Amino acid sequence: MDNKLRPCLLFLCFLFVAIQTRAQKVNKFPSKTDPLHKKVAQFDKLMLGNHWNEGAIMQHVIFPPAGLDRPIVGSQADCLDPTSEMLAAYSHKYALTKDEKDRDIANQIFEAILKLEKVTGVSGLVARSFNQTDEPLWHEEVMWYHEWHQSTSMPGYRWLGDLSADKFTSIFYGVGTFWEICADAEYKDKAAGLLDRFIGRVIDNNFKLTDLDGKMTLWGNFCPDLPHQSLNSLEMLAALKVTHRITGKERFNAAYHMLIDRYQYDDHQINSKILFPKEWRNVGDDYHAARSLYMLMRFEDDPKLLNKYRMNLNRHWYDWKDIEFTWESTIWFVMVYQVLTGEDIMTEERRQAIKDMWGFERRMKEFNIPQKDGSFKKVKSEEERTAAAMIRNYWFGRYYGIIDEKW
Amino acid sequence: MKIFYTVLIVLMGTSIIFSQDLRKPPEGMVLVAEGGFIMGSKYGDHDEQPQQIAYTKAFFIDKYEISNTEFAKFDPNFEFPASKKDNAAIVTWSQADAYAKWAGKRLPTEKEWEKAARGIDGRVFPWGNTYDNTYVVWDQKSTRGTSIAKPASPYGCYDMAGGVWEWTADWYKPYPGNNTPMEQYGEKYKVMRGGSNFNNHSFVRTSQRYYVLPEKISNYPVGFRCVLDIE
Repeated sequence: MDNKLRPCLLFLCFLFVAIQTRAQKVNKFPSKTDPLHKKVAQFDKLMLGNHWNEGAIMQHVIFPPAGLDRPIVGSQADCLDPTSEMLAAYSHKYALTKDEKDRDIANQIFEAILKLEKVTGVSGLVARSFNQTDEPLWHEEVMWYHEWHQSTSMPGYRWLGDLSADKFTSIFYGVGTFWEICADAEYKDKAAGLLDRFIGRVIDNNFKLTDLDGKMTLWGNFCPDLPHQSLNSLEMLAALKVTHRITGKERFNAAYHMLIDRYQYDDHQINSKILFPKEWRNVGDDYHAARSLYMLMRFEDDPKLLNKYRMNLNRHWYDWKDIEFTWESTIWFVMVYQVLTGEDIMTEERRQAIKDMWGFERRMKEFNIPQKDGSFKKVKSEEERTAAAMIRNYWFGRYYGIIDEKW
Repeated sequence: MKIFYTVLIVLMGTSIIFSQDLRKPPEGMVLVAEGGFIMGSKYGDHDEQPQQIAYTKAFFIDKYEISNTEFAKFDPNFEFPASKKDNAAIVTWSQADAYAKWAGKRLPTEKEWEKAARGIDGRVFPWGNTYDNTYVVWDQKSTRGTSIAKPASPYGCYDMAGGVWEWTADWYKPYPGNNTPMEQYGEKYKVMRGGSNFNNHSFVRTSQRYYVLPEKISNYPVGFRCVLDIE
């Protein structure tokens, strides 16, 4: 090799590694044999270091060079899930530790949810995600359809619309938990204000999530006049119950009872879990049901309604009791069931599954990056998924005495 | 008097006979009769309003969405997994339009599509007013016509609710009398109908409209069926 070329190549390699290292921020992974608390602590560092987007927690991080000049960009449709999970995680953690540093992190994550509303420029309309950028990012074209907007209320930002019922659930679950066990008086007011506007807008639109165009979003249907999934009836009741509890406003209580008395949402929600045919069982939907029931059953005190919510939980338990712990949410289902029923259902196998919880592996993947001239360029880059559910599970379990701090 | 009644009965009988369209639908198609039907909805999205009586001529329409195998006869370069030969083809609007022309047919207008799906009585779904998961093909992963209950529309079409979305010939424009402004109205987006069960139940209503860029369907599973004019 040419003697002059070699130093140049070495320098370029050094530059590449330096950029990678700087962009990835946190690179240390725990070992699978580490105790649970150590694994959680390390994944927590990875999440806060690599997935932090102005307080919002990214579900998927792609590192440079995949057409990027900075990390924290990836598929962003589901960012509200890890964001709410980390908000709940830090709320439970603060409730245990009373450490102001933990509360401050929870506050920052909550502020990001406020920003998800502010960026849309419409009171009560919450985005799925946002990016600080003036121009469309490459993944907008290939990882989600055309629901990205340039913000008019926050110049220099773009945001993703088409909010869905599951992200709706993420918001009332995360914000509700934050309000309940973590927020100080100032943040309690902010949390109440957010849910007042967000759920209030859904009521104003006849129980539909509507987008900027005024049409119902693809998965935003809780409307009593339109056919919708039983799960959506459950989510709507839970949202109204939480918002009434937090804001104290009668309109949310009235809406809750209107949906029950006039439209029988209390009966409709019982069948949220599709049990048969067996192949239609969907643990993804179970997660939204679990979060809804967790909030609803603790806030409701009418025994007749509680009985119906318990019927729903029983239908889920019929499946959950034999479920394989293939992902973190399934582990959480079992903990939620124990918290809501008071039954001791922890077997040694389930305890071991909790101890074995794991976040993610960092993987190399090839991305097909669209270029400005319409062509595509293949670029290999590293990516990370999320460990937020694992971290939430841990602090949830600790909070309720299910997980021992020595595990 | 007897002669009068005889003539009247003969006239009534023949008028019924002559008013029927005696053309037999080509194979794989069904006849949709000429006349009025209830179009739109009073409680759906604002673009479905106002509900109105709309009219169409008689036409033939495909019973099923065009399959991958059928589309590949038109475009031999069209690729699909071998296991999905009977599944609905997912294509852009211009691909669908080109296929229809090649087959000597055309894409249905919104009016034609909606009438074929719901008949004349304003029903919410092709089979009636109640939703059930067993009435629809879950999504494009399943083949056409494989819903458990296999309900047909009043004219005998299948999978007009669920399965894949379906292209119509029309640009996304407001119905006459609809004064709600929408920047998407115009000649930028085409209307797709029928929903996919990947979305919520309301999107498989017969009156539901959704707009999409004709050549950028991204994650939307959009297929199509064709109509044939009756001379």
